[in-house]
Amino acid sequence: MKERAGYLPDIGVEEFEIKTLSFQGKEAAVEVEIPLLNREQMDKVIEKVKKASTETFKSFSVSDIVHIIDQAIARLLDRSSPHRQKAETILPIVTGYDAEIIRLGLTSYLKTFRKHELQRFLVEDLGNPFMLDDFQPRVKGGFSKAMGPELITHIWSGNVPALPLWSLISGLLVKAGNIGKVPSSEPLFSGWFAHLLVEIEPKLADCFAVVWWKGGDEERERSIFTQSDVVVGYGGNESLQSLQSRMPVTTRFLPFGHKISFGMVSQSSLDTRKAWQSVHRAALDVIRFDQQGCYSPHIFYVQDGGNVSPREFARFMAHELENFQTTYPRRGLSIEESVSLSTWRQKEEMNLFTHPHNEVLGNQTGDWTVVYEESDIHFAPSCLNRVIKVMPFNKIDDILPVIAPHRTFLQTAGIAANPEELFKWAEQLGKIGVTRITALGSMTSPEAGWHHDGRFNLLDLVTMVDIESSAKEASEQFAPYID
Amino acid sequence: MKPHQDIVQQVAQFIQKDRSEETDFNEMALRLYSYQYQSNLPYRTFCMQKGKTPRMVKTWRDIPPVPINAFKEVTLSCTDSEKAAAIFMTSGTTQGIKGKHYHPDLQLFDQSMIANFKERFMKKTEKIRMGILFPTEQTMPNSSLAHYLALAVNEFGTDGSHYLMNDSGIDIERLLEELRRAEETGEPYALLGASFSFVHMLEELERMGKTFALPKGSRILDTGGFKNQSKELSLTDFYRLLSDALGVKRSNCINMYGMTELSTQFYDDGNEQIPSVKSGPHWIRTRVINPLTGNEVPKGERGVLVHCDLGNANSVTTILTEDVGVELDHGFLLLGRVQGTEAKGCSIAAEEFLNGAKGLSE
Repeated sequence: MKERAGYLPDIGVEEFEIKTLSFQGKEAAVEVEIPLLNREQMDKVIEKVKKASTETFKSFSVSDIVHIIDQAIARLLDRSSPHRQKAETILPIVTGYDAEIIRLGLTSYLKTFRKHELQRFLVEDLGNPFMLDDFQPRVKGGFSKAMGPELITHIWSGNVPALPLWSLISGLLVKAGNIGKVPSSEPLFSGWFAHLLVEIEPKLADCFAVVWWKGGDEERERSIFTQSDVVVGYGGNESLQSLQSRMPVTTRFLPFGHKISFGMVSQSSLDTRKAWQSVHRAALDVIRFDQQGCYSPHIFYVQDGGNVSPREFARFMAHELENFQTTYPRRGLSIEESVSLSTWRQKEEMNLFTHPHNEVLGNQTGDWTVVYEESDIHFAPSCLNRVIKVMPFNKIDDILPVIAPHRTFLQTAGIAANPEELFKWAEQLGKIGVTRITALGSMTSPEAGWHHDGRFNLLDLVTMVDIESSAKEASEQFAPYID
Repeated sequence: MKPHQDIVQQVAQFIQKDRSEETDFNEMALRLYSYQYQSNLPYRTFCMQKGKTPRMVKTWRDIPPVPINAFKEVTLSCTDSEKAAAIFMTSGTTQGIKGKHYHPDLQLFDQSMIANFKERFMKKTEKIRMGILFPTEQTMPNSSLAHYLALAVNEFGTDGSHYLMNDSGIDIERLLEELRRAEETGEPYALLGASFSFVHMLEELERMGKTFALPKGSRILDTGGFKNQSKELSLTDFYRLLSDALGVKRSNCINMYGMTELSTQFYDDGNEQIPSVKSGPHWIRTRVINPLTGNEVPKGERGVLVHCDLGNANSVTTILTEDVGVELDHGFLLLGRVQGTEAKGCSIAAEEFLNGAKGLSE
C-alpha cells in the first residue's frame, strides 16, 4: 500500500525530492511518501501561506471557520466516509496500535472539535469570540481585537494519531497561516485533514502546509523560525531546548514538553460495589494508546482504609488489564521496547528479594504488568506500554512531598474521590504543579477547551490590539458630523 | 571431595573433551542447574518466582536466564563470597553499583580461556610476541579482561611481550618501537586490547602520519566495543583503518566478545565481513529470545542473546544479556547493545525524567 503524506499549497513547482517511510503492520505494510522541500521551495511555501493568510484567511469570519472545521470533523466522524475508512485502515499499520483502539480513540477525540465544542473553545479563551473578527468593546472602556499571527509553525511529535489537530485547529481559529511539521512516527493524519479542509473550502488552499524534514536540521529550522511569528513545539525537553536555541527573540515559542500523569483513589470510592468500576476506568486510561500520551497514568496512589485495599485494587487492575488484552491487544513492541520493558520488570522482580510484600503481577507474555509497591512510596515514570504501579497511601500529605519536586513534568491527575475531597485535593495538587484534574477513565480524553499544560489554546497565539478609550473620545471631535 | 570441587572437576573434564553432543551438554548443564539451585538462595528464589524448579527444567533451554543486572543486586555465588579468590566487576554501573561475579578460584575460567584462545586466536602458533593495550592485572584486580590478557601473555606470549600502557594512556613511543622492530625482524606480532584503546592508537598514528606493514602471521585482538568512548566510528571503518595502519589483513583482526558475567569468551574468524559471525567453544551455548516471552525467536530474526556457560559453575550458568543478535548455523551475529527507547508519544521516558531529576537533592 502506498500513501502520500503532507499538504502543499500551489507554489508552481511539481518536482520534489520524495522521502519514503516504511511501516510494517501485523497484516499489511504501507509505504508513506512525503515531499522533502529544499530551502528555496520551503521559502516559497512560507511566502505563499503568509500571503494567503493575510489576504484570504483573515477575511473569513470566525463562524465561517468554525463551520468549515465542523464539516471536516463530521466527515471524519462518519464511519462510512472514505476519509474515515482510510484512517481506520492505515493508522493501525503506521502506529501499531490496535485498530479498535484507534477507532474508539479517533471518535472520542474528534468529537471535541465539533461546532459547539469549538464555540466553547473560543468562549473559554476569549470570552467574546467576535474579538477575532472585529474590535469589540471592553468592560474597562475602549475596544480590542485579537489578531492572529501571519504564520504559526507547529513542530509535532509522537505517534498518538491525530494529536496534531489540537494546535492546528487552534491556529485555524485565530486565522493564522499554519505550517506543520509531521513526526515520522505518524506522518499522515494532519495532511489528510488539510486536504479535507480544502475539499470543503477551496479558498483555503494556500492558507496552510503540512511538511516534513528531519528534526535537527539547524539551518532549515533557523530560517523557518525567523519567518514565523509563533512556533508551537512538542517533544522532549532536550529537543525543545535545541528548537529554542534556533529561535530569534522576536518569535514566540510555545513549548509543550513530555509530561507524566497519575491517578489518586480515595478510600471513599473503595467500597465493594463501586471499586471495580473505578478500577475498570483506570485500566482504560492505561490501555488507551498504551500510555504514550502526556495525560496517560504512570502510577495510581490508592488510599488505605477502604473496603477494597490498595493491594486488592492492584489485583483487580491486573484482572482488568488481562481482559483488555483480549479485546484490545497491545501494540506490537520493537526489540528495543521489549528489552526496556523486560528489564524494568526484572528490576521489579528482583526488588521482591528485599521487599517480599510487594507484588509483581503480569501474564506469561508480558503484555501488561502491575506492580504493587508498599515499601517505598515514590514518584517515577513507568516504562509505559501497559505497565502500571499501584502504591498505597494514608493521607495526601504523605505523597505530595514525593511528587512536588517534579512539578515541571506534571500534568493530569485522575481522581476518584467524594466532592469534598475532590476540591481539597485539587487545591493541593494544583499547588505542586498539576494542571488538570479529571475522572478516572477520562484521563486520556481531555474536554474541549481544556487548558493544555495549564495554558490557553488561543490566547497564547494571538496579539491583542487595543483602541484605548482616549483615542475613541479624541476621534469624536474630528467627526464630520460634529456640531 | 566437597560438592563444589566435585562439580568443578566434572566441568573441567567436560571442557577437556574435543566436542560435545547436545545430550552431553544438557546433562552437564542440568547437573549445574540443580547444584546452583540448591546452593544459591537468591537464585533459587528467582527460579521459584519464574516457576522453573528442577522438576520443570528438562533441558538447558529451560534454565531460567538471570538478567545481567541481577549481578548488581544480589550475590550469585554457590560458595562463600567472602572467600572468593577473584571478584570480577562490571565497568557499567547502576547508581554507582557494579555487577559482581565471584570466582572461588580461577581454575575453570583459566582452563576455558586457555583452550579457547589457543584454538581461536593462536591457531597453529605456539607463542607470539604480544603487545597489550590494556592495564595490567595488578592495576585492575577486578577486571576480568585484565586477567584474560594476563593469561594470554603468560601462556602464549614470548619473553619479549609487553604492556604498552603508562599512566597517561598508550605508551606510544614503546608501541612505535615494537611495531618498527616487528617490521625489521619479520617476527610476527600480536596486538591485543580494548577496542577503544585501538581507536586512540589509530588517532595517534594518523596524527603522526605513520603506517606499518606488520609481518605475515601478525594479528590483532580487540574487545569491548568503543561506543561512547571515542569519536563515532562504524565497525567497517574501524577495521579498515586498523588494517591500513598496521598492514594486518582484516581476516586476522579478531574480535573477542566476552562479559564479566561469563567465564568463557566468543570469537569471530576475522572481520572481513561486518557484522562478523561470533561463536564459542562446545561448553557454551547461545539462544536468541524475545525478552518478553522468553521464547526463542525464529532463526534469522533479531532477539536478545541468552548464554549458557558451563564454565560458570559457581554463579549461574545461564544469563540474559542486553545484547541484540541473530542466530545463524554456526554461531550468531552480534548487533550491539540495546539502545534505550524514547516514548513514542508525549509521555515522558524514564531517561528524560531521570536527567530532569538529577538536579534535585534526594
